[in-house]
Amino acid sequence: MNAEISIQHLSFEYDEHKPLLADLSLTFTPGAFSLLIGPTGCGKSTLLKIMAGLYPKYGGKLTQGQVDLGGLSQAMMFQDAGEQFTMATPREEIIFSLENLGMKQEQYETRLQRATEFAQIGPLLDQKIATMSGGEQQRVALAVLVAMDVDLLLLDEPFASVDPKARTFLVEKLVQLKEQGKTIILTDHVFTDYLGKVDQLYRFAGQTVTRLSAKERDAVLAEEARFPLTFALPQTNAPAAFVLNDVLLKTSRLLLKQDELKLYKGKVTLLTGPNGVGKTSLFRALTQLLPYSGSICWEGREVAKQPARTYFLHVAQVFQKATDQFIQITVKDELAISKKLRKNDYFSDERIKQALADLDLDSHLDQVVYSLSGGQKKKLQILLMLISGHEVLLIDEPLSGLDRQSIKQVVKLMKDSQAAMGQTIIVISHQFHGLSDWCDYHLRLDQQRLQYVTN
Amino acid sequence: MNPSLKVLLALIVSLELSFKVSLYTNLLVMALCLCWLLVKKMRPKAILTMLFFATLAAFTVFSSAYLFSDRKQLWYALDITTRVYVYTLTTACLTVSTTAEEMARSLEQNLHLPSHFAYGTLAALNIIPRMAQAVKQIRVAGLMRGVNLSFWSPVLYFKAILVALNSADNLAQGMEAHGFREGAKRSAIVKIPLTGKDWALFFGGLALLNVCAFLLP
Repeated sequence: MNAEISIQHLSFEYDEHKPLLADLSLTFTPGAFSLLIGPTGCGKSTLLKIMAGLYPKYGGKLTQGQVDLGGLSQAMMFQDAGEQFTMATPREEIIFSLENLGMKQEQYETRLQRATEFAQIGPLLDQKIATMSGGEQQRVALAVLVAMDVDLLLLDEPFASVDPKARTFLVEKLVQLKEQGKTIILTDHVFTDYLGKVDQLYRFAGQTVTRLSAKERDAVLAEEARFPLTFALPQTNAPAAFVLNDVLLKTSRLLLKQDELKLYKGKVTLLTGPNGVGKTSLFRALTQLLPYSGSICWEGREVAKQPARTYFLHVAQVFQKATDQFIQITVKDELAISKKLRKNDYFSDERIKQALADLDLDSHLDQVVYSLSGGQKKKLQILLMLISGHEVLLIDEPLSGLDRQSIKQVVKLMKDSQAAMGQTIIVISHQFHGLSDWCDYHLRLDQQRLQYVTN
Repeated sequence: MNPSLKVLLALIVSLELSFKVSLYTNLLVMALCLCWLLVKKMRPKAILTMLFFATLAAFTVFSSAYLFSDRKQLWYALDITTRVYVYTLTTACLTVSTTAEEMARSLEQNLHLPSHFAYGTLAALNIIPRMAQAVKQIRVAGLMRGVNLSFWSPVLYFKAILVALNSADNLAQGMEAHGFREGAKRSAIVKIPLTGKDWALFFGGLALLNVCAFLLP
């Protein structure tokens, strides 16, 4: 058996004298499946990157302590999987990674096959990664790690954009890897699927990490049992914000073939469907970023023919990647822009101040937006887009990367603002926790068709 | 033909014809290149578009070398005008028959350039479509925030550079997370062969070039 993976008296900071990790000591058992949980911005990603040898080389400062992996080889998967690829296609990326490890041609064949089966990316192997959906990219990133066959897999929220079915499947696969002797260290905010599979649970809180006992572990993991969802079906004669007629949507393949569909005004509609089915692409069509054939009308006018400058003052998207939304440097400047756009007095300065405090962003006003943690960026992004008060908001994965507390805060914020301003909201999410009682309707995209469903 | 040899040959052809005046050789190279492009099934429309832009440059050269020149030497003016097409067409031949991946591999395996140079360039190339998409997205994001970022707006490019810097940093980390180490020895799973036929084509091409350049006017 290998020596323990140990972290001793580790202190790490991005800004001088503001340590993110302070005198952190913990050990991981080799051959175990460990899950790290904790609020966003607490340092989970940072710890993984230190273990992967990327920090402090690429950022931050290690003021004391050391990490000993006990001689295990490691590879890491980033939170933003799309930014991790050197090559254009999954096959090329796997070849590149195996060449880095000095593999021979024969080993490559078997490794490729194993990895492809593991993440079920067979049909994606020669597709350009840049054209894949967020969830597909995460599966490819996992496949690369499996192909590399390292001892220690460091996975930073590997399932954030993966649909529930694929998620259950992949967690099961990780358990198989563990049984083959791999060590898995993973961070996540969603605990479904982990009960009985995770060996060790570590909780980050206030710069320290505690390892929970088996009893506490099971209690935490059991908390989030799947609850049944029920939704109403819309009244067909209710006023519509968008009307789709004979719409064809294509990227490299056909995504949507829809004869007739209404998206209802002043309502919150949850849009779900498997990875890569075209949910984000539908949003891109509604925001003129993807051409479509047929007709999509907003308030009786063809979307593609609307002048962009006025259309986007009414219809806006909350992008999957928070940084896509930012156009200023600091949190304060970003808020100023959104305030200028306010159409009603719901978001008074007082209310914004309160919201910032609720989201734990009030102490970050002068910070550069790009240096916020993943979760903080997301929270700020959603707040910014709510303040500006668009009539229609297309929200793409608002909860991915958020801890439970933040989810509560964000959902409450969205709920209150929608109730007050009567916005039309369409939200894509794989995480239903907290969203289910907010959404009026559930629209499912599968096999190129959109359909309202009750479950 | 081997990608690295292709680059070398294109480079030598362009360089040599930059110094040696031989209109016939220029025309011969142009004709061969055009045939090659058609054999490689480059779309005629793409060829014409490319030639159109080359013609803009060629016309400028011709006008300063002949129309507005004191010494009106037609032969020399035509020679340097056709050089523009030589450069354009040889480069086109190179890109139409070689993917960026093959090129990077060949530079690494055949020319033994440092791998971080080969793959760094390749990764940068893969970022380009992402950047184009990013600029489009930044404009839309701006409009959604009530800010019109025109194509000459500094904010647009500031933001684009931020995205690029961020991507570059993530990429460096991503490469390392996938096992890449600067200066470490890598294996070659996809081999780029360098055969006798490649060398024969290369030297054959060079010989033809020199014979023509020095014998033909």
